Amino acid sequence: MKKIQVANRASKGIAMGQAFIVEPQKWTISKEKIAESAISVEQEKFAAVVEEAVAELGVLAEESEIFAAHKEIAEDDTLKETVAMKIAEDGKNAQWALEEAVNEIVEMFEAMEDEYFRERAADIKDVGKRMMAKLLGVKVDPFSGIKEEVIVVAQDLSPSETATMDFSLVKGFVTELGGTTSHVAIMARSMGIPAFVGVMDFRKEVTNDTYLILDALDKEIVCDPTPFEKSEYVKKSEEYAAHKLLLEKIKDLPAATTDKHVVELYANAGSVADVKQAAAAGAEGIGLFRSEFLYMENVKFPTEDEQYEAYKASVEAIGHPMIIRTLDIGGDKGLPYYMFPEEENPFLGWRAIRISLELHDVFCTQLRAILRASAYGKIKIMYPMVTSLREIREANALLAECKDQLRAEGVAFDEDIECGIMIETPAAVMCAEDFAKEVNFFSIGTNDLTQYMLAVDRGNQRISHLYHSFHPAVLRSIHHVILAGHKAGIEVGMCGEFAGEELAVPILLGMGLDEFSMSSSEITTVKAQIRSLSFEECQTLAAEVCALSTTKDVMEYLDSHM
Amino acid sequence: MITREVLMKSKAGLHARPASQVVAMAKKYESKITIINGEKEVDAKSIIKILTIGAKEGTQLVVTADGADEVAALEEIATFIADLDE
Repeated sequence: MKKIQVANRASKGIAMGQAFIVEPQKWTISKEKIAESAISVEQEKFAAVVEEAVAELGVLAEESEIFAAHKEIAEDDTLKETVAMKIAEDGKNAQWALEEAVNEIVEMFEAMEDEYFRERAADIKDVGKRMMAKLLGVKVDPFSGIKEEVIVVAQDLSPSETATMDFSLVKGFVTELGGTTSHVAIMARSMGIPAFVGVMDFRKEVTNDTYLILDALDKEIVCDPTPFEKSEYVKKSEEYAAHKLLLEKIKDLPAATTDKHVVELYANAGSVADVKQAAAAGAEGIGLFRSEFLYMENVKFPTEDEQYEAYKASVEAIGHPMIIRTLDIGGDKGLPYYMFPEEENPFLGWRAIRISLELHDVFCTQLRAILRASAYGKIKIMYPMVTSLREIREANALLAECKDQLRAEGVAFDEDIECGIMIETPAAVMCAEDFAKEVNFFSIGTNDLTQYMLAVDRGNQRISHLYHSFHPAVLRSIHHVILAGHKAGIEVGMCGEFAGEELAVPILLGMGLDEFSMSSSEITTVKAQIRSLSFEECQTLAAEVCALSTTKDVMEYLDSHM
Repeated sequence: MITREVLMKSKAGLHARPASQVVAMAKKYESKITIINGEKEVDAKSIIKILTIGAKEGTQLVVTADGADEVAALEEIATFIADLDE
């Protein structure tokens, strides 16, 4: 057995079969000059070939958009004119003229800087090959010899070739050329066929007698496995298929434990595109809409209308509750169009709600935009970095002013819009009981909470090992906040990375966290985990973990209990 | 001749699929339609030429149309490019 590590995976999965090596076809292109009298004959020959190719591609285009582009290439005047000129002016026959014209255009693409545009050379070559086969009267079917389940190994595969593969027999493929944005890679992904591209000199490693396993989960190719090794991969492949099926099955099911305790799984988002992705991943809401991206990716403070459009489009895209965090800048997040004062300690300085409560115009513009969008879906407002009741009251007073204005203007908004706060400072943890009486919900931001609770600057290499969200101080803070919220009858969520961490989920669940907000890609995995857990056992686990006095004890306990 | 500036917002740039849509639109009109990226100026009726201008996210393009139906042509094509978003 031999294992080869590869870097470029085009499409995930595990495939196995006999190697089937595609030999590059060598065509002899006649380089004979033609007589002047033959020019029109050669021109017509080429025109007929173009017509045939366009018709074929028109049919293929109905199945795949890639071929719509190929059809345009086949019809393209640049190609046709170059060929016609080489026939008429240089006296070259149609084959020779086509070969040269295609090469010239390919060179032009290969000289481009951007990888995506460079790879379009492959599309031009593919169309050229389709035409050349017709001119030469040969049939292109490199896969005609396939009789059993195989892994196709080729120097390169064109989209046309990929489209003619019989996927009941071709289980996967490996190409020596091409990148992950090449059209064959895209086609492999859309068809769910495991594939590797850009595996240099791979044909030197195999013959048609080699048995291959493509492990496109761990990016390995196994040549000639023993029966035992093969059985291991069969097992791995079945597990992967079962896992995929499970994730697909639970996508629309609630995040409920085995003893029917249900929590909400939300996603974090920074743009309308993120929200759409969250909706597709089965998120039941947006637990953190980072409004700062609207400000950071702009050349000026975004207008009320710009923000309104973004919030409205987002809440409509998710069709569930969406929590918008008001502007959270300062600290490490600046704005290209606003000069922040130099500070000794930016993380302990002028940031988040502190800025909003000073720059009233900026804050009210945002609140008005959020209120207007609240007419189109369930939106909640969340203030970041709160340390005192005064801040909550001041922000709410400004919110009330904005509501008065809109009411006077006759603009629709949600009169009962909920307001909550991020819990990310030790002050907010200690005063959680008091804060809970004046807000509608809490959301724990574990990234900043860990940093402030442990007084550790994450960016500082020398002490970054001290940054640990499983530190008893952080865990007990989280527990305290959840209890305080529940005592006042409000929901407590979490929107830090901790909420999606496998080891943390059972603890948080056991502490009674109501809503977990994480990046879209983690939702199904966390849901599968929650659905396998018992709430009662998690409650015991949480109580025991909170009683441990060192991070090391916590980690060892989790290691032995999970 | 009329012209309009458009900003390429799509992350993928003016790639093969939208480029083929631009060509299909351009061919409906009699007018000569060009797309300009800096010093490169190409005929919008040729997919090969459109791809060679390498319009990526953030590229500022200029679309021009010249002919009897230039207004409608420019409106359709410039709007299509400006609205590309994926």
